[in-house]
Amino acid sequence: MAGLNDDAQWIVLMGFLVSFSFFFLALVINQSTVVGQTTAESVIEFPKNDIRDTREIMIRSWDLGNYNTVNYNTVKEDIKIISKSRKNAVVKFDDRIWGNDMHFHYPLYYNNGVTEYYENWTSL
Amino acid sequence: MKNSDGQLYTIEGLAAALVMLLTAYFVINATSVYTAGDTHITDMQLEALGTDALRVMDANESRLTGSPLRNIISNVTFTDNQTFGTMFGNLINSRTGAAADHIQYSASYSYRDLGDNSMKSMFINASRNLSGGEHAVRATKWVIANVKGDGLPGDSSYIPGFSPPQNRSVLVEVLLWRD
Amino acid sequence: MTDDTGALSIDFLVGFTIFLLAFIWVASMIPGIMVGLQSYTIDYDAVAYRTGVILVEDPGWPVSPPWESFSDFQKSNMTRFGLAVSKDTPNILSQDKVNRFFCTTFVYPDDYHTRAIFGDYPYGFNISLKDAAGEYQSVGSITPLGYGTIRRIVKIKGPSNATIGTGNYAKYPSFYNKTENVTTHVFSFLIDNPRLLDDVKNPAYQIDPAREQLTINVTDLRATITDYPTAVPPIENMTSTIELVNVRVYKKEGALYSNVPLPASEYPFVNGSSTRVTSMPVPHTDNVTIKLTPYYFDLMKAQNCQIYLALGFNVTPPSTFLNNTQALPDFNNLDAKLTFENVNTTPFNYNYEVENVTQPHLRDAVLEVAVWSGGG
Repeated sequence: MAGLNDDAQWIVLMGFLVSFSFFFLALVINQSTVVGQTTAESVIEFPKNDIRDTREIMIRSWDLGNYNTVNYNTVKEDIKIISKSRKNAVVKFDDRIWGNDMHFHYPLYYNNGVTEYYENWTSL
Repeated sequence: MKNSDGQLYTIEGLAAALVMLLTAYFVINATSVYTAGDTHITDMQLEALGTDALRVMDANESRLTGSPLRNIISNVTFTDNQTFGTMFGNLINSRTGAAADHIQYSASYSYRDLGDNSMKSMFINASRNLSGGEHAVRATKWVIANVKGDGLPGDSSYIPGFSPPQNRSVLVEVLLWRD
Repeated sequence: MTDDTGALSIDFLVGFTIFLLAFIWVASMIPGIMVGLQSYTIDYDAVAYRTGVILVEDPGWPVSPPWESFSDFQKSNMTRFGLAVSKDTPNILSQDKVNRFFCTTFVYPDDYHTRAIFGDYPYGFNISLKDAAGEYQSVGSITPLGYGTIRRIVKIKGPSNATIGTGNYAKYPSFYNKTENVTTHVFSFLIDNPRLLDDVKNPAYQIDPAREQLTINVTDLRATITDYPTAVPPIENMTSTIELVNVRVYKKEGALYSNVPLPASEYPFVNGSSTRVTSMPVPHTDNVTIKLTPYYFDLMKAQNCQIYLALGFNVTPPSTFLNNTQALPDFNNLDAKLTFENVNTTPFNYNYEVENVTQPHLRDAVLEVAVWSGGG
């Protein structure tokens, strides 16, 4: 093969160039799908609705619990246990406190392992 | 005199073409797998829709009426189950355009058994039975529903194991999917 | 000896053609790869979701006075459109905000883009809302193929209103017909803002005149005239002339009353007309509709004050008429303290009594946001 000349190798070189650019293009495209995935996932995984819903039910639990201490405790226990088993979330939920400012205070706590939420809610 | 120079350009052109085509083949195979973003987006949309529907169903129409969802859970009879189905089905499938959507759902609620603190589930209504193959998302809503001692027998039978009838907190869970 | 110059050029042509064909084929595949993950499924859906959240779960900015109360000339004050009644009531939209949002005086797409869509990229969009009664409102252009979308289910809080008519007159005659046959009659209302805000705290069911339009219809005015055919001149309710002299507004701050001028933009509607009267007195009046906009309440800073509205009528010939207010005959120089702190004055109280006032009512609706690549 000593007699072969290598005049034609630039064609293979161009082929390689096109292939490489193709690979980089593919990398970029892959990144864009990841962006879409994380956008949607963060919407799903950030438990905005869970927190909002749990917060609301905790605040309303006294009124909806029939204004009755025994019933209120049952409702509280329901919320804690159902949260843990159905939502994998720890809900801390202390008795409401009648503050010196003539308002009720609820210390509310929510943690699903990824997101933690704490609020000291004050009644109107 | 024989000379092989004549084939060189052809051979190298073939090689270059082969390299490019193989790359394209691999790249297309690799990228087309990544459609996960798309399914996540539809999941997100379904979940938002289900949560909205439950929230809207829990809202009183006016200060003087009760929450429809709470009323349904308070006394889950066959008619109430159907009421839930009609309301929920209408809400999630309504669109601003003319054609309605076709989203399927299956609803139930979870409650705590007072005896051993275990989780029990009560079926409410479904537009179609889950066969297991669906890609469903879950939307939930807390409801404190009463079994507010109106003294009728069977009042508490839907959440067994507690008497006297009293308000309980239950978690309404709806699975939504498109088929 | 052979000359191979010619063979070489044929060889080159074949090789280069094969390369070019392959290159063209591969290049034509690139758009094909893109189709599978065209960015609308990613970016447009996310933008639509964001706009959906802003509209449905946020009351917009500024909150007080609310953005919807600004006129088109004050558009620069509106920072963000949001339709929720308050930030604590997601999915419950305010009718006034919805009406303002879909009003035709905003410029599409610029006004909406900077306040609801956001971002530097010129998105095209379409936002539509349909309520349970089938009423459809939308803004934006026709959706092309391939767009990002989100659908939100909401409730719309309708405004409260009161209608005063023969039903009321017959039920409590002593509250609505107080006087004998005289010319000048005054009918007054009380809008007790502190009580309204205190009695019902949930913004979804609250009557808040500074947030939502308030409507009072006074109908069947002639029915309040008692016929007296033998009098001189004879009194017959079908032929009597009823003139709406003026509408006076008083604000009570502490124990002090102050007269608040009623701007022409708040003038009443008369005889079922769809436009406000342009001047008062109105010589022939059969019924009166008062619509007070939130902007007016914001303007007079009435959130913590009682507001008294007095409607003055002249009836000829003198007769009984709708009257619940003991006022001096000179209606335009009313002494508010003497008038309203008077046992013979029983203003119509605009409050949470279901009998008097139709309470705010929530109705189902669905909101859709579609977003695509705009600029064309």
